Amino acid sequence: MTSPNNTAAVRSKGRTSSYIDPAALMRIKNLELRAKAVVDGFLSGLHRSPYHGFSVEFTEYRQYSPGDDLRFLDWRLFARSDRFYLKRFEDETNLRCYLLVDLSRSMGFHSLSYDKAEYAKTVAATIAYFLTLQRDAVGLITFDQAIREYLPARYRAGHLHRLMICLEHELAGTATDLGLPLEQVARTARKRGVVVLLSDMLAPVEMLETKLGYLRSQGHEVVVIRILDPAEVSFQFQDESMFFDLESGRELYVDPRAARVGYQERFTDHAKSLARVCSGLGVDVYDLTTDRPLDLALFDLLNSRMRRGRQVARRRRVS
Amino acid sequence: MGVLVPLYLAGLTALSLPLILHLVRRTPRGRQEFSSLMFLSPTPPRLTRRSRLDQMLLLLLRLAALALVTLAFCRPFLRETASLSFADLTGKRLAILIDTSASMKRGGLWQQAIKAAEKQLADLNPQDDVALFAFSDRLQTIIDFQKEGSAPISDKPQVVRNRLRTLKPDWGSTDLGTALVAVASELDSASDVRQSPLEPQIVVISDFQSGSRIEALQSFEWPERVPVVTLRVSPTNTTNAHAQVLPAEEGNELADVRVRVVNAADSRGDQFTVEWTESVVPPSGGKAGDRPKAELRTDVYVPPGQTRITRLPRGTDSLQADRVVLRGDDHDFDNTFFVVPPRKLEATLLYAGRDAAEDPEGLQLFLRLAVANDPLRQVEVRPLDAAKPLTAPGDVAPDLIVVSQAISEELRTTLTTFVEQGSMLLLVPDGDEAATSVTSFFDDVEFTRVAAETVEARESRSEKYLLLGEIDFTHPLFAPFAGPRYSDFTKIHFWKHRPVTLKTPATTRVVARFDNGDPALLERSIGKGRVLALTSGWQPGDSQLALSSKFVPLVGALLDLACGGTEVAESVAVGQPVTLPASTPPEPIVVQTPDGREVRLEAEHSTFTETDQPGIFRAKVGSTETRFAVNLSATESLTTPLDLEQLEQRGVRIGIEQTRSERIDRVRQQRDTELESRQKVWRWLIVVALGLLVLETWWAGRAERKITA
Repeated sequence: MTSPNNTAAVRSKGRTSSYIDPAALMRIKNLELRAKAVVDGFLSGLHRSPYHGFSVEFTEYRQYSPGDDLRFLDWRLFARSDRFYLKRFEDETNLRCYLLVDLSRSMGFHSLSYDKAEYAKTVAATIAYFLTLQRDAVGLITFDQAIREYLPARYRAGHLHRLMICLEHELAGTATDLGLPLEQVARTARKRGVVVLLSDMLAPVEMLETKLGYLRSQGHEVVVIRILDPAEVSFQFQDESMFFDLESGRELYVDPRAARVGYQERFTDHAKSLARVCSGLGVDVYDLTTDRPLDLALFDLLNSRMRRGRQVARRRRVS
Repeated sequence: MGVLVPLYLAGLTALSLPLILHLVRRTPRGRQEFSSLMFLSPTPPRLTRRSRLDQMLLLLLRLAALALVTLAFCRPFLRETASLSFADLTGKRLAILIDTSASMKRGGLWQQAIKAAEKQLADLNPQDDVALFAFSDRLQTIIDFQKEGSAPISDKPQVVRNRLRTLKPDWGSTDLGTALVAVASELDSASDVRQSPLEPQIVVISDFQSGSRIEALQSFEWPERVPVVTLRVSPTNTTNAHAQVLPAEEGNELADVRVRVVNAADSRGDQFTVEWTESVVPPSGGKAGDRPKAELRTDVYVPPGQTRITRLPRGTDSLQADRVVLRGDDHDFDNTFFVVPPRKLEATLLYAGRDAAEDPEGLQLFLRLAVANDPLRQVEVRPLDAAKPLTAPGDVAPDLIVVSQAISEELRTTLTTFVEQGSMLLLVPDGDEAATSVTSFFDDVEFTRVAAETVEARESRSEKYLLLGEIDFTHPLFAPFAGPRYSDFTKIHFWKHRPVTLKTPATTRVVARFDNGDPALLERSIGKGRVLALTSGWQPGDSQLALSSKFVPLVGALLDLACGGTEVAESVAVGQPVTLPASTPPEPIVVQTPDGREVRLEAEHSTFTETDQPGIFRAKVGSTETRFAVNLSATESLTTPLDLEQLEQRGVRIGIEQTRSERIDRVRQQRDTELESRQKVWRWLIVVALGLLVLETWWAGRAERKITA
């Protein structure tokens, strides 16, 4: 696994043994259960449980004016004082997170018992579940060469379940367009938030620069999680055979022993150019191979948030 | 060294298989799915050591094993003798059966048949025996097989060839079945008796027309060892039709005749013409020619395979036309149908009676009326003139003499002389006086005179009548009435008759009797002629006979009896026997055939069998002449080819025509098979191949061990 942040990488390596084995996790069919298993394990070791007190905090009373929602009317106060007051609560969420999940056919490749798409879905579900627990709004966009599903960021009962259902959809498409979901978020998200792009990034990255830059300029925080199969990284195939492109259907005769060096060179170049584009825009890129425990992905995300928070604090202090 | 199944040598091409497998570039077996080919570039195919031959010894071992297995399948053997000669062949007993029926007269068929037969003869070996048979409606042995004990004929094929050239198709129909049965039985029994090694075989050369009769095969168990080779000859033009005149309808003998036109199924034409034609002998003498009657021509349209019946008018002036000719088809052999033309006879009838010619109560008037309208005869009725002498020099004796009056002794002598010369005398006594003259001709007949009757008794008797009770229908006079439709004489009442009794023993024959047993018609032969006596007259005073429908035919039969029949004989087919009318007393019959030949039949024979050609035959018995027509059998005109499977269905074993070299090949093949099964070289080849495979396995294992090491 490669990561822009070396400390995180080292730390995560040390913790791998205590994490849930992804192969065992993938055997759980229900995505929501899978996410819950990851998050519960993760939280129990991180900080105190959030299951305390009320989930909604009261802030103030406001006098009723016609047209206000009667659900928020305080009937007890009305009984006592014979006046209409509305109870005001704290805002539902303080974070809006958009999960951009690539469900193109290239994500169907697997050298393990499960494919990249399955892994990406689980990561997305885990993040969604975790954020929902914290009463953050989560949105979802699945895409291949076009946008397949779009759920705006909300925090509502049933929203998580709907999100999980959207994630269950089959792989489709003959190409990957990384720009489209980013544009969609930029167009629809009015408030600032976190955009998490879950993809194998097997597409030209040159055009990403403008899209990411646009998002960044709107104040969104962007995290790119590159999901890769271990075989894609190492390219340890032995026998010469016809290589079949899952997306385009193209076939190519390749002798892996002869082609390995060239492949790895081009692969590294691609990763580098991606890293260059992202780092220039303040976007974090995490590579996640499918054999890695999932809670590490969550950890990476939180780590990025923390780092971001520290950077902002430092910047404020400096200013 | 030879191989039994050279086809398996094609298996040697399998040898290229290991070579190809060895040399062929291996295409990748696997197919690897991959997320994206964007980082991959195609690898050029590498040339490895596989593309060259390595392990030569292994390859050679494998090739050798394959080749040996292939050779073993080919069943090789070591040939002992170099080659076979024709003399090594077993001889055959060949019966050449050549069709000489009329249908073989069609264009070019006979020449083809001769050629086919000569080809068979040319293919014979010296040890073969051959016989030649010709068949149409009967089988003729032209040259028989060599008899046991007789000296062999030198160069028999040449003898057969010479006789073959003298053969010609005749006019017979085709009886293929009988011919095959006869020849096959002969061949089979000859092979049994002589224990001969010669293989029997029949070669039939024919046009195998659908009119061939093959029914005889139905009840014959075909001998298994006698194969039949059929050689069909066929004409280029196939349109053939024939016309046949159908028997005339009742009472319409001379009007239009009905002609049946049959067109063969494989004909191409369908428009034909039928016409009456007359045979004319030119006044200067010479050969008779045909004169078609253009005005008596009818066009007829008959589609192939169908039959039409058309009416062909026959004018009164062309009653002598003796044949119907069909025109419009390709083959003439069956186009003429002969019909005997009716003859106009001239007959003299002498009447001796008291009644005048116009007396409605007399006999003469009815007799004259009955003979007046006979289309086939010209009858001259002469009254007997007492003043005039009956026999003038050069006078022809009258054919029929009818006497109703009493006659003098002198006249009786004259009449007896006439009868002895061949005339016929009919006595019809009109009274008791005349009745006595009957007894002068019939000496064994006694006239019973009845006492004079009173008028009352006569009147009362008119209520009583007699009928004809017993009639001999075998007598020529009554033969035309023999059928049940015409044999009813009970409507004719007889009021008066002259009762007579026959003395015993009597030579007189009673042809008819009344229902009370009295003779009605008596007959007696005198010399060449005969005397008849009717005991009742036909005039209205005596009976209703003259007014009945039977009278005219009866007089006609009487004239037939007196001066010979005029009935038109039915046509018979070629080869069928014809029964000629017997003469009394028996006389030799001379039959003149259409080609002018004369055949004499002895008196005791009345059946003529030499109807060997179509045409009008004339049979002369004494002075009378009978003509009859002989025509081609209708089946002979069915020239559509016969389906040869029908022969097989009736059990005939159909063989294949084999030339000498083909037979030699077959014998050679049999010998080879025998040799191979004795030698069994293939076993050794398989053993060696197995040995090679063991060696190959061992060598391959060794090589592999070396590589791993």
